Amino acid sequence: MASPVLELKSVSLSFGENKILSDVSLVINQGDVLVLMGPSGHGKSCLLKLLAGLLAPTRGELIVEGHNFFSLTEIERDVLRRKMGMLFQKNALFDSLTSAENIGFPLNETTTLSNIEIEKRISRFLTAVGLAEARDRYPDEISGGMQKRLGIARALALDPQIIFYDDPTAGLDPITSRKIMELIISLAREQGTTVVAVTNDMNRAYQLGHKLAMVVDGELIVTGTPEETKQHKDPRVHQFIRGDLKGPLTAMLESADQNHDSGARHD
Amino acid sequence: MIGAIFSEVGLTVLFLRDIVRTAVRNPINGHLIAEQIVKVTQQSFATTALAGFFVGAILTVQFTLQVKQFGALGYLGGLATSGTIREVGPLLIAFMLSGKVGAFTSAELGTMRVTEQIDAIRCLGANPLLEIILPRFIGIVISSFFLLAIGLFMSIFGGLLMGVLFSGINPDEYLRHIPTIVSLVSIASGLIKCFVFALVLATICTYKGYATTGGAKGVGRAVVSTAVATMVCIVIADWFTSFIGDVVMFLFIGD
Repeated sequence: MASPVLELKSVSLSFGENKILSDVSLVINQGDVLVLMGPSGHGKSCLLKLLAGLLAPTRGELIVEGHNFFSLTEIERDVLRRKMGMLFQKNALFDSLTSAENIGFPLNETTTLSNIEIEKRISRFLTAVGLAEARDRYPDEISGGMQKRLGIARALALDPQIIFYDDPTAGLDPITSRKIMELIISLAREQGTTVVAVTNDMNRAYQLGHKLAMVVDGELIVTGTPEETKQHKDPRVHQFIRGDLKGPLTAMLESADQNHDSGARHD
Repeated sequence: MIGAIFSEVGLTVLFLRDIVRTAVRNPINGHLIAEQIVKVTQQSFATTALAGFFVGAILTVQFTLQVKQFGALGYLGGLATSGTIREVGPLLIAFMLSGKVGAFTSAELGTMRVTEQIDAIRCLGANPLLEIILPRFIGIVISSFFLLAIGLFMSIFGGLLMGVLFSGINPDEYLRHIPTIVSLVSIASGLIKCFVFALVLATICTYKGYATTGGAKGVGRAVVSTAVATMVCIVIADWFTSFIGDVVMFLFIGD
């Protein structure tokens, strides 16, 4: 059961002068559901993109199923990528394709399935996320919640073994966001997939995660199960999960503001 | 500043190499390319035809003023058509395309980039260069030939009309010297220029779009720099092809 599928070894990431992550190590085992949280602009999305192999680390290694990802050829990487699915923060749906075509895209482009088989799969996934009636509508013709669900369906289309969710409930009402979380949990449970999700909604984080971790100021603090996280000793974690206005996180922000007048950070 | 320009040129050339490599190593999706050819040709058909018409008309008026004093109005049609095919036609059509297709393509690709659609393609195990860049690239190059043909045809028509209305010569006279002055070399020169300009345009606009960063502002920047870079590079490519053409002619014909 517990074989590592994803591993970061002392990974650092910077964009020019701007350091995003420094010396992050992480092991994710088969079947893990890991939730990443942390203040905006501290590198959660970047960490997720590093894990998905979309960003190359400045230093350190990404190990996917025992292979050093960035020492593989592009074709070998594509094979591993097909085992991963990703829901992007802003969905990243193909706006020139209908809902059905969005799900069909990876099936058409990367598999040798017949058209009938692809149609069947499209219908299955659209029904699974409750979008059967929106199959011929374009992404900009459906609501935000529907777009999220479509994004999830597309991420799942290739039956990935690892799924990344970047803020799956951002901007959704509490009921829809709860429904989406339940969808994610039931899909993960059915398939036994590994899930890495970014969210700042603590209720959803506790609902989803077996294991929680916090990205703060370029560091990764693995805080453990929801219960362990609530009891965590680090004052930054303590402040974050309670949403306190006073504490080390806000002090850090204030001093950063004073030092260099709000530097542009990547989210 | 100069360093930045060189690095941008270098990155664009590397991007072109990646496109060519992708084209060589993968089976090409004819359906996607055909779709792009139809789209680009349709989008620019009317404007190119209009521009072509006026190019012919302008050249005819200009040549009329020049050749009238030598009593050589009979050569008007040949001169105007030759000038259009060799130089002005490809150049103006390339400018038209850079304004229409170049801006459209870089804005479209830039938006796909900043909304993470390009990352999504990569994440789904497909190659964005193969799926979205290559069809647009080949589409622009091939349709620019169609558009050139339309533009040139309309320029002959525009020139003919001006020849009759402005210069007062009859249509037969206008058309008579076209075959004698417009040689194979003129046509080859026009076609080569057209190909080179299309290549420059397609490379720059796909690269600028693909390399966009920074949200809506970034897309705006990509479109503006596409417009500026394509215009400048097309003019430079025009000079360069003429220069190389001259050298080749000198080597083979010695004239």
